[in-house]
Amino acid sequence: MLRDLRISCSPHISERFSTRSVMIDVIIGLVPAMAAAGYYFRSYALILISTCVISSVVTEWLCNLIRKKENSLGDFSAVVTGIILALSLPPSVPVWAAIIGSVFSIAIGKMVFGGLGANVFNPAMVGRAFLTVSFGALMTTWTVPATIDATMPKISAENTIDARTQATPLAFSKEAIKGKKEIAAVNEQLKSTIAGEVGGCLGETSAVALLIGGLYLMIRRTINFHIPFAVIVSAVAFAGIFYLTDSDKYAQPVFHLTSGGLLLCAFFIATDPVTAPLTPKGMWIFGTGIGVLIILIRTIGEYPEGVMYAVLLMNAVTPLIDRFCKWVPAGGKPHV
Amino acid sequence: MKIHTKSKLTFSGGTHPPEEKELTRDSEIEQGPAVKQVSIMLSQHLGAVCEPLVGKNEQVKAEQKIGDCDAFVTAPVHSPINGKVKAIGLQSHAVLGRSHAIIIEADPNNNTPKYPNADKFTEDFDAEQYSVGQICDAVREAGIVGMGGAGFPTRVKIEPNPRLPKETLIINGCECEPYITCDYRIMLEWTRQIIAGIKLARKASGCSRTIIAIEDNKPEAIEVMNEALERSGDSDNIRVVPVKTKYPQGGERQLIKAILDKNVPTGGIPPMIGLVVLNVATAAAIAEAVVYNQPLTHRVVTVSGEAIARPGNYYVPIGIPVEELLEFCGGVTQKSTKVVVGGPMMGIAIADLTMPITKTTGVITVLTKRQIGRAKYERRQTACIRCGRCLEVCPEHLIPTKIAHAVKNNLLDVAESYYISGCIECGCCSYVCPANIEVTGYIKIGKLTLAKQKKKIPE
Repeated sequence: MLRDLRISCSPHISERFSTRSVMIDVIIGLVPAMAAAGYYFRSYALILISTCVISSVVTEWLCNLIRKKENSLGDFSAVVTGIILALSLPPSVPVWAAIIGSVFSIAIGKMVFGGLGANVFNPAMVGRAFLTVSFGALMTTWTVPATIDATMPKISAENTIDARTQATPLAFSKEAIKGKKEIAAVNEQLKSTIAGEVGGCLGETSAVALLIGGLYLMIRRTINFHIPFAVIVSAVAFAGIFYLTDSDKYAQPVFHLTSGGLLLCAFFIATDPVTAPLTPKGMWIFGTGIGVLIILIRTIGEYPEGVMYAVLLMNAVTPLIDRFCKWVPAGGKPHV
Repeated sequence: MKIHTKSKLTFSGGTHPPEEKELTRDSEIEQGPAVKQVSIMLSQHLGAVCEPLVGKNEQVKAEQKIGDCDAFVTAPVHSPINGKVKAIGLQSHAVLGRSHAIIIEADPNNNTPKYPNADKFTEDFDAEQYSVGQICDAVREAGIVGMGGAGFPTRVKIEPNPRLPKETLIINGCECEPYITCDYRIMLEWTRQIIAGIKLARKASGCSRTIIAIEDNKPEAIEVMNEALERSGDSDNIRVVPVKTKYPQGGERQLIKAILDKNVPTGGIPPMIGLVVLNVATAAAIAEAVVYNQPLTHRVVTVSGEAIARPGNYYVPIGIPVEELLEFCGGVTQKSTKVVVGGPMMGIAIADLTMPITKTTGVITVLTKRQIGRAKYERRQTACIRCGRCLEVCPEHLIPTKIAHAVKNNLLDVAESYYISGCIECGCCSYVCPANIEVTGYIKIGKLTLAKQKKKIPE
């Protein structure tokens, strides 16, 4: 009779499903956005994505080495962080800055907290915030998509100083709010923002590509619909309020939806499970908070874009949301 | 004729592990091995431990009561064979913990195997010929306990209680754990006996409504039950309700939610809301006890798994060592890595195969490395990424990851604030966890530690 029987607690079987498969799903979901980035920004996309991924992976490996921890590269979470960081950077960011951003994302954003699962803030957003405050100029220089003739920018005829760069639609929107531009010029860009033929961060320009990836993740049930839905609905509704109060000053709500990083955030950044609340109710609060903050920053705040700070702020209150959104057991609270 | 009754009746949460019932679902109930020795645990049930009624070297007869106790919540134990008491002493048991057991050596010259009584029951069985007192006493004396797994003394459940009047009797034929098919087989083969038992339980408990719940992956059982009820003219007052095939549909709390849309209070029991839930095997045992005055000494056990040469459903005496049963089925081959008493979701893996079968053992699952899967074989746990899958599958609407991590960090007060006591230990959370964390395992440890702190159980 056999003597080397194993014992362990039940259950003795498990679903064929791992953290790695979650991360691979997210990477697959990001493929359309990466493809759109490649189409509009050509070599910029390739260089930036590969730089961020490689430096993220190397940083995680080094951190594990220093902390004398088991190698954790197998879960592919560093790859996801690298891709999301790259997609949220302006295409023309130099390689050295991308490396600094990636190192900061992984080392300070994730590993100092104890690695995957322990971080409070979304690592990619931490890295991006670091780059924004350190290299403001680099982070606000926008390249014209390669599909637009560089000498004849569709969006703005004013780009005479440097034909290769242009302002983002959101920057226009900001100027319109300040009364420097006609709001009609802003709303005209709606079509371009859906396809992605506008200036902006690498992966956020094409609304269609982001939607396809987001739908894939929702169909695969890798992400819940709560957070994307809450972000989108609250942002559109809140932008709608502004639009209704003064449509000469504020852009259409749908314009806010398709421009900037809102969709990237709704499907790929805010849905990072580690930094989002656990319960559906919490997810609704979290998503609504992000949506409202994005529009607040875009319309009232000083920055044209608010995704990064909205996410980081809501990440900070996630533990609090979790505490207030406890579930009551199916049979009610026990009588003690 | 195949019927395709797909049911939508279910609870929220749960998961659907591979059923793996093909291995034994078509194997008729077979007579188990002749035993040389049985070991009868004195605590095969929830409640007070029995006192031995026999001494060492005393001769015992089959069906003789060998252990009993005066407490209310308890059930006596009986010898399944003729023989001699070899020893009475502490025996460790993976499921029951360390408990006293009576070891009986079989008399080799004077033992005829016991056969099921199922064929003796007729369709026109009339429960009215027995009084409530008669039924309750017979159930008590036969030592019948819930045979689905928990082992709650049946008499306590069905006995009329003026404080908690009962209105609905639910017969649980869900059998939601993978591999197990013993209840399915008795529903097919012992149909009349089960119905007789149901009538007796209904009479004793005074329930006005009776429901037989069967998962919709067992259409044959649903059909056989329906036909038998129609023939005996009971189809009006005993209803067969198909429920959705989902784990843990057979948990009584989940079953009640599915068919009646009622929640049993957390930490409470079904009688609190006027319900009695009995397993089909328990119903069959009631019939045998009341009509033929036979105590619960034998039961059907499924032996299943890839590494088993002859998987099947066997009628075996309670107290037979797991080892003998496995040898009877062709032995455990080198391929196997785990022998589990119970199904793979809630069963307990054992290393000591001399452990005896108890009244609540429905299945012995022998798992190979392939069946366990790489993740559970390597048992490498990674960090929780708070994906929330355990929340989605939790049938009790708890937040398993929070409880597990509170226990892990020794914060039992936090675990309690997340209602650790509401956990039914079904294992869904561990089953779906992408980080392979033993969520259920931590919760079990937490519950044990809390019970020790509150001095409910000794160290």
